Amino acid sequence: MQDWCKKRPHEWHKYINQEVRVTAHDKNEYQGWVFTVDPVSGSVVLVTLHGQQSTSVRVVMGHAVRDVEVLKEGDEEIAQQLNALFMPAGSQVLTN
Amino acid sequence: HTTGTDAVHVEEEQRLRTELRERFLRSLILMSNKEVYFSMYERVQVQAKFGASDIDILNFQVSDLQTPLGVQKEAILRCQDIISYSFDL
Amino acid sequence: VSWRSALPPSERPGERRSAEMKKLYGKDAAKIQGMETALQLSFDRNCDRKQPKYWPVIPLNL
Repeated sequence: MQDWCKKRPHEWHKYINQEVRVTAHDKNEYQGWVFTVDPVSGSVVLVTLHGQQSTSVRVVMGHAVRDVEVLKEGDEEIAQQLNALFMPAGSQVLTN
Repeated sequence: HTTGTDAVHVEEEQRLRTELRERFLRSLILMSNKEVYFSMYERVQVQAKFGASDIDILNFQVSDLQTPLGVQKEAILRCQDIISYSFDL
Repeated sequence: VSWRSALPPSERPGERRSAEMKKLYGKDAAKIQGMETALQLSFDRNCDRKQPKYWPVIPLNL
């Protein structure tokens, strides 16, 4: 997938909230939930949720992306969890 | 000339691009002052405290960069040299 | 019509950038441009203050 950086916004947008495996340069593989793809650099922001205690973010630079494979569709709960991580406190709509 | 359908298509693309970009900018804001691990070309691994990025995502300004050869107090990493980077929340 | 519109586009970088942003981001262009300006400002300020040097000196990915 050498043309990852040349995709259109609607193609990148489809990956939001999906669990994917990104294959990067040198056969590096990364798995996580897609929070976004930067439309300027093509960089993929992946979130790994390890329960309540720890969450990590991995960003694969667009120029290094070789392939993106969807593993699992995200649901509304995943979408809300991801949003809560990145949105500044105060702008979040609190539920429950 | 732009037809009605094209205009709708353009607006939809702008809306999606805005959402993608805003989310990415938020991820950069969230990263400031965090310890970030960088996997670079030539299997180079470094870590540093993230400062800021330029808007074209070409350069990252970092502090206390720990390299295999020692610590550099203030540095700029070229985004072209980076394969991926990670940080904990 | 202001006097500024008589200048060629290359002499109005701010306006050219706004037009580009409008084309890319439509009605939300101002919001994205605001976020980007804040980000670039902190990058520029940090670079002025800390005088960071490129690491490594020679690019890894030529």
